[in-house]
Amino acid sequence: MSTVSWLTLRGLFGRRRFLLLLPLPVVLVGLAVLSRWLGVTPRDWGPPVLVGLGLAVVLPVVALIVGTGVLGAEIDDGTVVHILTKPLPRWQIVLPKLAVATAVTGVTVAVPLCAAGLLADSARLGLALAAASAVGALAYSALFLALSLLTRRPVLLGLVYVLIWEGLLGSVVSGTRVLSIQQYVITLADRIAPTDLLLGDVSVPVAASMSALISVGFTVLAIDRLRSFSVAGETS
Amino acid sequence: MPEPTGVIHDIGYQRYTGPRLGRRAVFGALYLHGLRTAFGLGRSAKAKIFPWLVVGIVTAVAAALTAIRAQIGEAVMTYAQFADNMSWLVIFFVAVAAPELVSRDLRSGVLPLYFSRPLPRADYPLAKLLALATALWLLLGGPQFVMFLGAAFSTGDGMSGVAEELLDLLPSLLYAGLWAVVFASVGLLVASLTGKRAFAAGGIVAVFLMTTPIVGTLSVMPSRTVNELAFLASPSTLVGGVGSWALGDLLVSEDQRGVPIGGFGPVYAVVAVLLVSGCVALLLRRYRKVAAR
Repeated sequence: MSTVSWLTLRGLFGRRRFLLLLPLPVVLVGLAVLSRWLGVTPRDWGPPVLVGLGLAVVLPVVALIVGTGVLGAEIDDGTVVHILTKPLPRWQIVLPKLAVATAVTGVTVAVPLCAAGLLADSARLGLALAAASAVGALAYSALFLALSLLTRRPVLLGLVYVLIWEGLLGSVVSGTRVLSIQQYVITLADRIAPTDLLLGDVSVPVAASMSALISVGFTVLAIDRLRSFSVAGETS
Repeated sequence: MPEPTGVIHDIGYQRYTGPRLGRRAVFGALYLHGLRTAFGLGRSAKAKIFPWLVVGIVTAVAAALTAIRAQIGEAVMTYAQFADNMSWLVIFFVAVAAPELVSRDLRSGVLPLYFSRPLPRADYPLAKLLALATALWLLLGGPQFVMFLGAAFSTGDGMSGVAEELLDLLPSLLYAGLWAVVFASVGLLVASLTGKRAFAAGGIVAVFLMTTPIVGTLSVMPSRTVNELAFLASPSTLVGGVGSWALGDLLVSEDQRGVPIGGFGPVYAVVAVLLVSGCVALLLRRYRKVAAR
């Protein structure tokens, strides 16, 4: 484990505020257990819990907070200078940070989703959801990490993407779903474990290739941006 | 012992003899400043992007609805449904505005400066809360007023048509006020917990979004009572429940049904009051100690 990823991990977990991430997965598993215990049919509770809560809220929100936090927090308080002045190639800064963000998001989201999928249908659905959400965690983290280098307000811009693009437009204008990570995750999970609980709107090749393209593209963009990064004070 | 040689020069310091404005003026200034901050007025162009993006989208939707209504002659959405459908944008606006209002002051540590003025502890959070609620009310009420103007000018019944339209508008403005108060109190409480604007925005969105699927799950539970009480779980459906109980006939026409809450209307009203007063109480509690760190 490189020093950069070690520092990033400590930056994420060194404060109490990472505890804020816990309620989301807990609620997810809690609702699944409650529905199962009361004997509601999975057809009824599956979509709101797995998709509505898990893939549409928990995954993007956790990825947003973690993904913009790994680099954005350091840029915010100015300590990014200490890393930038070390004789490290930029990719050795971006990649470990991306790896940490993906791992933390993936574990926080995949474990409860796996449990919920297991309760809803089968172990296969649980594993499919876990695998697909890990892919989604990578794509979201790459996107939000690049955003934190492109703008001073990465969280708000990320929220525009999650709330307005995926949430609002995605439910009205169906064409925008081709550019929605959430839809890729749903499609991939549905492909691995076909059930009637998940309904993907994009084709599997599109989902797979676009997830890969977003992950790689935004990582390359982040490395490139960090190459010519200028540390400026807060302006607004 | 030598004679003291120091002299005190009169360099012209003067006492302030003008009028001294009291608590009300401080409160008013904080409120006005908060309201301007929520929309990014008096700040750089960067600070205006996100608030005005939301205002722009909401107004554009209202204008589109008005145009459709003028063409086909019947309303696509009532005023109250407009407020309900804009809930994601309202959440986003709270996530933009609430951290600007309170998290910046926490982070830059200027609260001791505020509290060294004749300003009681409770006034600071209350002024901010009032400012955020006003901003949200303007955000929802402004486009409704645009829709009203469109309807009033395209009505075929003369003044009686306008009066009827006005009677539709007024309860909806009240309903928008309910939205504003509930969302502002919850959002400001979350934002006041952290000095980092990024975390505050994420936290606000997490709190509001997380609760909506809980409603979805509870409303498929095998008990009718639970189904009818499910809408308590999320602020937006809670507001919808109170609205359809208190202003029911005024908000939705006969063929559309409001939130199906059965006979639990008073429960919804009580919970809404408890939620708002609980959030305000926690906010005041937070500001009793916050600057003393």
